[in-house]
Amino acid sequence: MYSSLVRLQNTFSFFTTVAFVVAAFIAASDLLAPRTPTVSLLKTTNLQVVRGRPHYYSSKKEEYAIIKFSLEADFSSLFTWNTKQLFVYVTAEWPSAGGTGSGRNATNQAVIWDTIITAPSADHLANIGPVAMKKLKRSAQGKSIDPSRGKLSLKNQRPKYQITHPSGKVAEQEDVVLRLHYNVQPWVGVLTWNQDEEFWKWKPLRGSLSKKFSLPALKKKDEGKKEGSRV
Amino acid sequence: MAEQLLDQIRDVFEGQIDFEGQKLAEFLVNVALMLVGAIAFFAGYLLQDIKLAVYLGLGGTVLVFVLVVPPWPFFNRNPVKWLPVRGGISAPANLVVDDKVLG
Repeated sequence: MYSSLVRLQNTFSFFTTVAFVVAAFIAASDLLAPRTPTVSLLKTTNLQVVRGRPHYYSSKKEEYAIIKFSLEADFSSLFTWNTKQLFVYVTAEWPSAGGTGSGRNATNQAVIWDTIITAPSADHLANIGPVAMKKLKRSAQGKSIDPSRGKLSLKNQRPKYQITHPSGKVAEQEDVVLRLHYNVQPWVGVLTWNQDEEFWKWKPLRGSLSKKFSLPALKKKDEGKKEGSRV
Repeated sequence: MAEQLLDQIRDVFEGQIDFEGQKLAEFLVNVALMLVGAIAFFAGYLLQDIKLAVYLGLGGTVLVFVLVVPPWPFFNRNPVKWLPVRGGISAPANLVVDDKVLG
């Protein structure tokens, strides 16, 4: 503490310590906030299986399942001061057919739809155009957190991703279910995914599975073409 | 002339303070920074605003830097009193330093 330079270094050194401790407290404050996410509805509304190519020049043809679905969920309790963004995604799951070794009893899982819900403190990081950005920022003006963004209501939502299987066959697949997942991404602290067990104030996500359904048979060729030209 | 100016610049840059001042500076750094951290955390938690916590923390830290780094007069209130030079040792006559004759 003799000269200015030493005082500068010592002050900065202690600042880094304080910053680390405050960050640890912020991360720990997540535990005090109850998490009670609920799903009130998750069901398929329209199922379709079509043949297509993985990319334009591919000579391989695969079957693709297009699963439309409806979803009602309330994730508003996941938004606290330390929430940066919430990643929500829906997967389709079905048991693996036979297989050997590690492939036995395995579950096929493929994402059909996902979304990122930013907290107002992270709006500037959203990967959207300037007009949508302005709208997003205005929607939370004057609010440091906005739990109402966690309320999801989708009706007959088209999937973002058409799914297939390494074998290229998904038509008439039985015992398929949809599952809703979430991933809380905090400013500081650990990432947390949807829980299966209760952890103190954090409740598990119940009702995240849809009823079992079967994928339909392949669409007839002319029907498939009509569908293709519309898209 | 140039040497005097350089000495002054060096003194300002080095910003030396006395022993009591060093003790005080260390105490101020520890207490003030911890206080800033606590205020930033509790204000952010109560108002549920992480940006507020970050800005309070950074702003408070800048204030602590301003308070502690320059050699403010209150760090120099207890200058060390050196013993007077006792007789017996005197510079040799006609000692030449930098073209100047001392003594």
